[in-house]
Parts: sequence; C-alpha cells; structure tokens
Amino acid sequence: MIQSTSIKTFQYEDKKRFTADRAGLFLGFLLLVALPLLVQSSDYILQVFTHALLLASLALAWNLSGVSGSMSLGHAAFFGIGAYGSALLSLEQGLSPWLTIPISGLFATGVGLIMGLICLRLRGAYFALATLAFVEIPKVITDNWDTVTRGSLGLVGISGLPSLHMGRWHMDFGSSIIHSYYLVFAYFLILLGIVAFVFRSNIRLALQAIREEEFAAESLGINVNRYRLLSLLMSAFFTGVSGACYAHLVRYIEPGLVYSLHFSAVPMIFAICGGRFTILGPAVAALVLYPMDQFIFHPLLPAGHEFLYGAVLILTMLFIPNGFWGRLRKT
Amino acid sequence: MDLLQLKSLHKTFNNFCALTNIDFSVSEGEIVGLVGPNGAGKTTLFNLICGRFRPTSGKILFQGIDITDLKPHAICRLGISRTFQSSRPFGRMSTLDNVLVGHIFGKGFSLHTRPEDREMAHELLEIVGIAHKAETMADQLTLSEQRRLDMARALATRPKLLLLDEVAAGFSPVLVKQAIELINRVRDRGVTLLIIDHFLNLSLKVSDRLLALDHGEKVAEGPPHMVMRNRDVLQAYLGLRHQDEEDD
Repeated sequence: MIQSTSIKTFQYEDKKRFTADRAGLFLGFLLLVALPLLVQSSDYILQVFTHALLLASLALAWNLSGVSGSMSLGHAAFFGIGAYGSALLSLEQGLSPWLTIPISGLFATGVGLIMGLICLRLRGAYFALATLAFVEIPKVITDNWDTVTRGSLGLVGISGLPSLHMGRWHMDFGSSIIHSYYLVFAYFLILLGIVAFVFRSNIRLALQAIREEEFAAESLGINVNRYRLLSLLMSAFFTGVSGACYAHLVRYIEPGLVYSLHFSAVPMIFAICGGRFTILGPAVAALVLYPMDQFIFHPLLPAGHEFLYGAVLILTMLFIPNGFWGRLRKT
Repeated sequence: MDLLQLKSLHKTFNNFCALTNIDFSVSEGEIVGLVGPNGAGKTTLFNLICGRFRPTSGKILFQGIDITDLKPHAICRLGISRTFQSSRPFGRMSTLDNVLVGHIFGKGFSLHTRPEDREMAHELLEIVGIAHKAETMADQLTLSEQRRLDMARALATRPKLLLLDEVAAGFSPVLVKQAIELINRVRDRGVTLLIIDHFLNLSLKVSDRLLALDHGEKVAEGPPHMVMRNRDVLQAYLGLRHQDEEDD
C-alpha cells in the first residue's frame, strides 16, 4: 500500500499511468527515426529537424540548471565557447572533431565555473541579468583576439561532422544531411538519457528543494552552493558540446552568431513552454515549436517570425506556468 | 554530558546588539523552552546554532565539537535540525518528497531513493499525522499541516537535537494538545528539543527547563515554575517594575 502511493508521487517514475502519452512518445520517436525516409526529397525539412534536435539538446542542457531555479540568460557564452573551441582546435591543430567536441565541452565547463563563481551569488532576476551581461565577456574577447580567433571575420571551412569506422562499417556523418541528422539525433538521445538519469536520481530532489526554499534546503543538509554550481557546470558542458556540434554542422561561425541572445533565450523559452519540471518537456517544445516557426511562420513573416517564441512564452507563463508537457503529465 | 554548549555568545547586526553574553547548555534528552517577548533574540539564537548567522564572538559546541564556523548543511549532518517560524515547505514538491529531502540529505547522500527510504518518509508522515496527504503538493497544505510537515522533514534528518521555532503559535487549544503529544513522542525517540515558545502555551507543559531572554540577554534559566516567578521575566512579559519605561 505504502509502495503504491509513494510511487505515484514521483512524477518522473510513474510507469503505470499516462499510457496514452507513452504511446505518443513512442510514435514521435519512430517518426524521428524514420524522418529521413519520409522526406527523402527534401533536404530542407531534414535540415530544420536537425536544428530542432540540436535546439532540443540545448533546451535539455539548459534545464539541468533551470530546474534548480537558476534562470540563466547566459548560455550563449557556453554555446559560443563550445563552437569556437571545437572549430579552432580542428582548424588549427587538425584534431578530429571526435576529440575537439568533448574538449570544447570542457572549455565551456571552465567558463561555467567562472560564471558560477561570480553570478551564483545572485538569485532570480539578478542572476538572469548578470548572466546576460556575462555573455559579453567571451564575445568581446572572441571578437577582438584576431590572431587566434580571426575576430569578427568568423571561421570558415570548419570540418564537417566526423566519420566513424567500425570494422567494415563506415559512416561519414558530415557527408550528407541524412548522416548529420542521425548523429545529432544520437547525441540528443544520449543527452536525454543523461538528463533522465539526473532527474530520476536524488540530485533532482536537491535541485528542486533549492529552487523552492533555499534556507530550508541548507538546513536539511543540502550543500546549496555545491549543487547550484554542479547543475550549472553540467548544463555548461552539454551546452558547449551542442555549440561544438553546431559549428561542425553549419561549418561557418562568427562571434555575433554563436554568442547571440538567440542561443541564450531560445533554450529557456523551450524549457519554460515545455515544462521546467519535466525531463522531456523542453525537448518536446523544441521539436514542436522550431519546425512550426520554420515551416509556418517563417514563410508568412520572414522578418518577424520569431514573434512566435515571445507569444508562446507569454501565453504559457500566463495560463500554464508548468509548461504544456508538465500540464499533460498531471492530468 | 552536555549536548549543546553556548559560550558567551554575542551577536550584533550593524550597531544593534541582538544577543549579549549568552551562556547556556542543553543536556541530552532534555526539553528546553526558549521564552521571551518579541525581539528578545530567540530566533537569532536559533540561527546562530544552525549556522545561518555567525556569532560576533563566542563559541557553540555540539557534543564537544566546535560548530561555530560550520555551514548549515554541515551542522545538520552533525545532528542539529530545525523548523521555521513561518514554515517553509518546498511548495511545488509533494509532501512525501519534502520529507525525503531531509531523509536523503540529512546524513549524507545516496544517488537513488530506495523503497525503504520512502517507507521511512511515510512513517514520519504518519508520526506527525499527515500520511494521508503524502501525495499532495506541499503548498496545498493548511498552516497546521505545514508545521507538521516542517517537523517531519526536520526529523527525517535523524537529529540528536531538534530546534522548534514557534510550533504552536496561533494554534487552537486542541491543536496545542496534539503538538504536546507530538513533542513527547519525539522525545521518546531519543531526540533532545529546544523549543521557542513566545506565548508560553506549550513550553510550560512540556519543558524540563526554561531559558528566558529579554533584549538579547539571558534573564533567567531553570525549571518552568521557577523561571515564571522570576521578577525579570515577569517584568519582561508584563512590565511590572518600570511601568513608566513602557512609554519609550
């Protein structure tokens, strides 16, 4: 009896209810797997979904720190460092992206440590504003350190996504959009697995407790500073890795692009709309909203299509503060 | 053996002297009431013991260990837990999860919640009498339920010393009676208690000893009936001696 009631309290572990949305998830997963076959004629659709998966990874990564109540507007710093780190290492040192992508994730973690030590002293809106300002530091450095970063010219000719040899099996992920799509998809699934692991472990309890009542959390034995930093560092690492993937996917980056507010705000918007307190919400929001933006609103309003994000954000915050995925899971 | 020793504690905020020269000790198994009028420094004393504030001078020893400079989470792990004057539940978490936080983090850390952890948490909810609300979000609980949750959560850390801040303030006589029963049950589990009780509706009935504070100073300590006859205590509460000072 005790067992059955307590299992239900764990939103993330509920395996009995919600069979309908489990079926929906499975269907969505199959669709994503089969997408290249379904849209063989159109590289464009596949490109959009590759980006959607990358943005979904960003949203998942953002939510690793978002769930602790830290509403960062500075994730573009990690994204940009990841993109530049990996691009420069592969361009200048000739290293394989298999190496440079995780290494640049570590660079981003280092930047996360600096940002954390400075900004995590703040809470709420003050934290958000400080992180927003923080992005300018790596951006200005990248923009002006011409000898290393080539400044505002940006980097061109970045190597594509790497290839993989396993015995007789050979796959060059950079060779076509279909291959790139599957690599990004695989990365997305791995990150999803990691996020699910974190959210189902007791780390989630600590992060939620800190978000809800910091004083109570620390008086119950939670090392608040350590957990807030840990969640920011995890988030920074995967944001950096996503940035690196972006660099090798697009093969052209410049400071104004990868350090733009876009890469700070969009993951947050997806996370809030999808549901900050859920594992999948941020990813589902990215996979729904970004294609919607690109296929429907972009053709209609080429200059102002991103109004969609603003509108959806306002509507969610007004009517479903837990996000639509959070809402779905409760009813 | 003294569980908790306070040695000439001082605490000043800017130029305001919140606590002056507090010497006191709590023995194992005792229930001590901390009484005094508003602003006497009771909650400040709690915050010092729990590590939320550092004393300006003086020392705090717990089981002989100097905890004066430790952080709240470290002090909790040594065995001191507290509730809050206005209860601070983790609002958007279930009642059971609230208790689990104390259980999981109060004495270390395990990566995954085991079924027996949940049973423990559930048992604590039963002890404080809100087991039927295990799945309710904590911000949906009534005030008295939130206080019970606060207590269950604090107990979940398996403390040796539990600090209760105004557990029964605003309670009806029936609820006060339930609170007294609960406190006795907690004591029977081997927990020492230090209870802030501004309105004296609880501590007179359960305490072995009282510590009375006024304007940050210790004015009396001893068995409840003795302390309540102390002239300084009466003056602090009722203003017997210097009635003209009340105009200040």
